[in-house]
Amino acid sequence: MPATAEEYSLGLPVQVSKIDQELKKLWQESEGAMTRASLINLAVYSEEAGSLSKNTQLMANITENHACRAIVIEADCKAQDNRVEAWISAHCHIGSVGSKQVCSEQISFLLKGSCTTLLPSIVFSHLDSDLPFYVWWQDELREPVHPRLWAWVDRLIYDSQRWEDFRAQMRLLESAEQEANQRIVLCDLNWTRLDNIRFALAQFFDHPASHHNLAKINELRIDFAPGFRSTAVLFAGWLAAQLNWNTNKAEAANNFRFINPSGQNINVELRERSGEPISEVAVITADVEFLVAHAKCGDLLEVSRGKPGEQRMPQLMPAGKNDPVSLMSEELMRGGPHHVYLHAVNRVRDLL
Amino acid sequence: MNRATDQPEPNPLREGLSARAVPQPCTIVIFGATGDLTHRKLVPALYNLAADGDLPPAVVIVGFARRPKTDDEFRRDLEEATRKFSRQSVRDEIWKNFAQSIFYHQSEFGEESGYKALAERLDDIDKNHGTRGNRLFYFAVSPDQFEPILKNLKDAGLNQTCEGSWARVIVEKPFGTDLDTARELNRVIRNSFSEEQTYRIDHFLGKETAQNILVLRFANAIFSPLWNTHYVDQVQITAAETLGVENRAGYYEHAGALRDMVQNHLLQLLCLVAMEPPTDLSADSIRDEKVKVVRSLRHWSRSEIAANVVRAQYSKGAINGEPVLGYRQEKNVNPDSQTDTFVALRLFIDNWRWADVPIYMRVGKRLPKSATDISIHFKKAPPVLFNKDLHDLNVLVIRIQPDEGISLRIHAKVPGSSFRIEPVKMDFHYGTSFGKASPEAYERLLLDAMSGDATLFARRDEVEEAWAFIDPIEDAWHAKKDAPELFFYAAGSWGPEAADDLLARNGRAWRRL
Repeated sequence: MPATAEEYSLGLPVQVSKIDQELKKLWQESEGAMTRASLINLAVYSEEAGSLSKNTQLMANITENHACRAIVIEADCKAQDNRVEAWISAHCHIGSVGSKQVCSEQISFLLKGSCTTLLPSIVFSHLDSDLPFYVWWQDELREPVHPRLWAWVDRLIYDSQRWEDFRAQMRLLESAEQEANQRIVLCDLNWTRLDNIRFALAQFFDHPASHHNLAKINELRIDFAPGFRSTAVLFAGWLAAQLNWNTNKAEAANNFRFINPSGQNINVELRERSGEPISEVAVITADVEFLVAHAKCGDLLEVSRGKPGEQRMPQLMPAGKNDPVSLMSEELMRGGPHHVYLHAVNRVRDLL
Repeated sequence: MNRATDQPEPNPLREGLSARAVPQPCTIVIFGATGDLTHRKLVPALYNLAADGDLPPAVVIVGFARRPKTDDEFRRDLEEATRKFSRQSVRDEIWKNFAQSIFYHQSEFGEESGYKALAERLDDIDKNHGTRGNRLFYFAVSPDQFEPILKNLKDAGLNQTCEGSWARVIVEKPFGTDLDTARELNRVIRNSFSEEQTYRIDHFLGKETAQNILVLRFANAIFSPLWNTHYVDQVQITAAETLGVENRAGYYEHAGALRDMVQNHLLQLLCLVAMEPPTDLSADSIRDEKVKVVRSLRHWSRSEIAANVVRAQYSKGAINGEPVLGYRQEKNVNPDSQTDTFVALRLFIDNWRWADVPIYMRVGKRLPKSATDISIHFKKAPPVLFNKDLHDLNVLVIRIQPDEGISLRIHAKVPGSSFRIEPVKMDFHYGTSFGKASPEAYERLLLDAMSGDATLFARRDEVEEAWAFIDPIEDAWHAKKDAPELFFYAAGSWGPEAADDLLARNGRAWRRL
């Protein structure tokens, strides 16, 4: 097969009108035991120069566990000339059974100038039929949002950590959701980033005998890396939404309070520290501290509970990784709606 | 699959994080801790759960066995085994953390004082490790050890717990050797643990593809109207393996293929294929429907057994070009052994849905390839238009192992000016579509037992009904007079001709694997 993307080249340049024929040819010419697999259509959109190559590399890794039809788009909206260039390629990996190679197709587009308005029609023409359609939008959303596009999208993936104005972006997303009759599932990689820490904290309260501690929480401390304040705020929003805390008072950007249903205050302190996006979370009651902290080895979490200052026996749990491939893989493994995320956002929208 | 009735109030922080029931902190006491099962399956499965973050931090493993050993020696043995048998490579820091919660308790199974000491030790563990009085006793021992262990657990008060805690027992097969012994075993278990506390493990049910049978049937509307006697011509279930008896002759000589595979694994698979839709996904709703299938199996008279069941034994032959011994020449096997290493059966489920649909099952050792699958063969389309000369049926195949997946054979027109029609296969492979490796069956089943979900475990009545079906066959085979013939097949073949004849007399043939 001549156009595999192992070296992250964009593959075979093709005319846009001949993509289907060229893809067919690609498979006819393939040698050896290869299987084309696809569970979803995954469109990746970026306006960053050079993103085609970078995203091709990401797709090579993502398709290892998530077979898909990848449609990678780089848009240069400021270009003077109107032009569309296209490439086709395949990401092949040895499957988990035997030596058969499992391949995902990739179609890459470089859109220049006002041709970016053609985005929906270009995407629609190249979807693998009957499969869900996911869009990974890597930039900030701009008005006008393409209403026709949203009507087709099943899951919209983005990373709110990169947003400058969370509230404005959320408004755009909500209008996109309305265009799609609330059918789109909003998938925030900034939320996915919290999965393992949420999981690690949640397990402290699995036994009914620990439930009473949830009502006694009076302090929450979250250490976040520079640039990841929104991640920390989302975490606080999650606890607030799940435990029915309401926003009480913001004393400073990184110090605020919630109030629980019994009227008790919960002081929240966000501390900027270098390291992992969220390096430590401490949930504190008068008697006990529940601690989730990154272990020294990086991709593990140490979880422990005890009285502040006393000797503890931490357990290790997976921490996940903060790279786009890991976050995307985690997100693609999930599925289902993200109601909990939306509740969390609503609790802390004004703090973001 | 379900939330058991003793599942605690939901943890609000779990919402949206996991769709499965949450495993609870507990101490897992493994009887037979120095044995093969513990080393090859149980501890590697627990390690994988810990490495994936699926095990609650407060889970402690206590190995109970006769040999003298320290905690450290036991941990070293288990580490070596886990490095060898785990599906993912062992990370030092995770193992170190995991191993802190492994302990060894030396005692004879029949030694009363050993259980008193165990009870004290478990109380200490509860205090120091937060296991909250929950105990999971895993019987990785031969059934003859069950009674003394159960009696001593009861005498030491370990079958009961304080309010809010639980004690459960996981029992490995064989669940008896016939109906009487199964009933006796169940009686012995029931003396110490209630049915709700008892988890009979059948690792076939922990396999991803076995669980997917229910999803295939009840999440896809297209199959439901076809899944009955009006559209299904026959069902075939095959469990083939290339291996011979290996080092299990001691057990296998007394068991044979019928008891070893059909009574449990194959009948369980049949139940999943043939059961009615359950009212919900609770363990008992599913098991209620499964047991109805076994209860509806047609029981044969002696003469009918000879006509519908074929037993055979492998003789010398070759597997993948390598010569192999015949069964009677294997180590520790009686040179005149009458043990069945192959069984083929024609069954009928006498209920509304499956009336007159033959179910063909075959299981055997030293067959040409290792494969377990289920195939649903649909009836022919009316013999008009294209179907006058078509002989192949539409077949839906559920591959349980290896290369797990589902395929559907349909007819298609060969391109060209003539109407030549050939069968083609639409094929779904788990490994191709889902890159992530499935967890091992034991991982899923251990997690379910810790969560109180008994859906994938066999219930007492399922086991007893299965024996009630198997016993007349075994009795006929062992009758002094007119016992059905034991056939022989060359290792590396698909069994004796008599197995082919079982289908050929009705114009059918085994599916080519």
